[in-house]
Amino acid sequence: MKCISWIITLAVVAGFVLPPASAQKQTVKLDQPVLLTSCGQSPGPLKIKVFFGRLNIDYVYNLQASAGDLSAKKKEGKPFKSLIIVTGASLKGMGASKVSIEDELDRTKKLIAEARKQGMKVVGAHVEGMERRAQGATPGDNSDELSIDAVCPQSDLLLVRKDGDEDKRFTAISTGKKIPLVTFEKNMELSDVLKNLYQK
Amino acid sequence: MKASIRKLGFSIAGLVLLVVSGLSFYESRHLKEPVVLSDGVTQVMKLSKYFPDIEGTANDCNIYVLEGKEPGATLCILGGTHPEEPAGRLAAWLFAENGVMMKGRLIVVLSANRSATTVTRVGGAYPPDFIIPSPWGGQTFRLGDRWSNPLDQWPDPEVYIHYPSGQYLAYLDSRNLNRCWPGRPNGTLTEKTAYAFLEMIKKEKVDVVIDLHEAELQYPVISTIVTHEKGQELAAVVSMTLTDLEGFKMGLEFSPKNLHGLSHREIGDYSDAISLLFEAPEPFLDATRGKTTTDQLLTGKDEFVVKAGKHGLLFEKIDEKGWPIDVRVGRHTSAILQTMASWTEVHPERPLLCDNVPRYAEVIEKGIGKFLQDPAHGKPGRVLFE
Repeated sequence: MKCISWIITLAVVAGFVLPPASAQKQTVKLDQPVLLTSCGQSPGPLKIKVFFGRLNIDYVYNLQASAGDLSAKKKEGKPFKSLIIVTGASLKGMGASKVSIEDELDRTKKLIAEARKQGMKVVGAHVEGMERRAQGATPGDNSDELSIDAVCPQSDLLLVRKDGDEDKRFTAISTGKKIPLVTFEKNMELSDVLKNLYQK
Repeated sequence: MKASIRKLGFSIAGLVLLVVSGLSFYESRHLKEPVVLSDGVTQVMKLSKYFPDIEGTANDCNIYVLEGKEPGATLCILGGTHPEEPAGRLAAWLFAENGVMMKGRLIVVLSANRSATTVTRVGGAYPPDFIIPSPWGGQTFRLGDRWSNPLDQWPDPEVYIHYPSGQYLAYLDSRNLNRCWPGRPNGTLTEKTAYAFLEMIKKEKVDVVIDLHEAELQYPVISTIVTHEKGQELAAVVSMTLTDLEGFKMGLEFSPKNLHGLSHREIGDYSDAISLLFEAPEPFLDATRGKTTTDQLLTGKDEFVVKAGKHGLLFEKIDEKGWPIDVRVGRHTSAILQTMASWTEVHPERPLLCDNVPRYAEVIEKGIGKFLQDPAHGKPGRVLFE
């Protein structure tokens, strides 16, 4: 019994002393220019675009970026140095772009493969909270989770608004795949997060 | 003989019902809603100024102009596109009765589809009107419907073919203002109304149009801004700022390019204006609601909608506290004021700044009624009727 008490006490103390995944020091650094895209055609990338503009970060915003776009830039002699893919699906967005979630998963798979070939850093992002998760979607619509599965486990860094990790899904991917996880609580904090990531 | 007496009895009962209900419909259609003009209202016009064909129809509504003390951009608020979503009309009302533009110009519409304010859901047993309590007693507003009154536009087609896209829509939507943009001069009353507003938007060189709505919790486009491509960055900043600073979540959705007739699509396509549409949650509209009463409308409380939420059938949270009208109106006033602030950040040379209109927290704390002005004490010539 005494032993159990000690274990509980140690666990509680460890909870205070050891930093949670979200507070891990941001060690990954990213280079410009950046290709900013989506997996699921949600408006999430727009939020990052706003801060890129304010921070004068060299970026291209293309919600339907393909592996061909990465190759073309490389041929021009101006290759992208990092790739941010914002996960979370919008049926409205996919409908407007006339693509299905299967098309999105296929495009993203090829995009990540080309990025890997070019030695680029890949960031899997989720910036719209639980509303852009299966819990906030039509019953039976799992497209948000499919887009997360397609991108996040293959990323070099996860960038997540904290309320989207309510069920610890991103924490689990981070821990399981040993991928650094950077979280932020308020939208406006994203500015500092991006500044730190792209700061030399 | 007995049969004749019975027939006579039924006939008299039918006549009584006809007279009583007819009187109720007449009163509802002709109820006058006072608007006590804010000192900031510099001009009131009629929609027919921009398209004379609409003159004398139910939809020749008032246009309230608040000219700023300093020049700037022009923003237009459309309240009452769907009058049965009352937070939109009431939020616009707070601007017309309180707003003072310090910079830029504001155009406010309280009854964009005025015809739709004069009828409720046919066969739906909706309450005809509702009262917002205020320190001076309270003000009665018509509840209205989603569609123009059939008395003003009839008959409906079997299929509504949207002009000019040719997209097929439900027959009822031929009377839905938010399926009739950009409208046409020789169309139905609702199409003519959309056309008249578009003429106004173009002639007044409106920079941003905000169409105010409410949505059922079972509809995925809720608690959000729907934006045309031209307004994406503005809407993203507004969405993020409101979510961070005002204590309520405001999402963001793109206006689909291939879904026609809606303000967020067609106003942006057919004019230079940025078109945005704001949605607030209204459990009154949910198909699984309980009794359709004014109490349910104003408190947003409904045990059946709560139960639907427990089964994971909703796109917005709800609990026993419901979605009171003050919360829904406060979301809209804050979202409009934040749009002005975010616009000004990007266009400091053409600013927008409105004073004296309460934001979300203040509307909830004091209630809408606190900001409705007493028509009995309105200055001469400064009380109009919708």
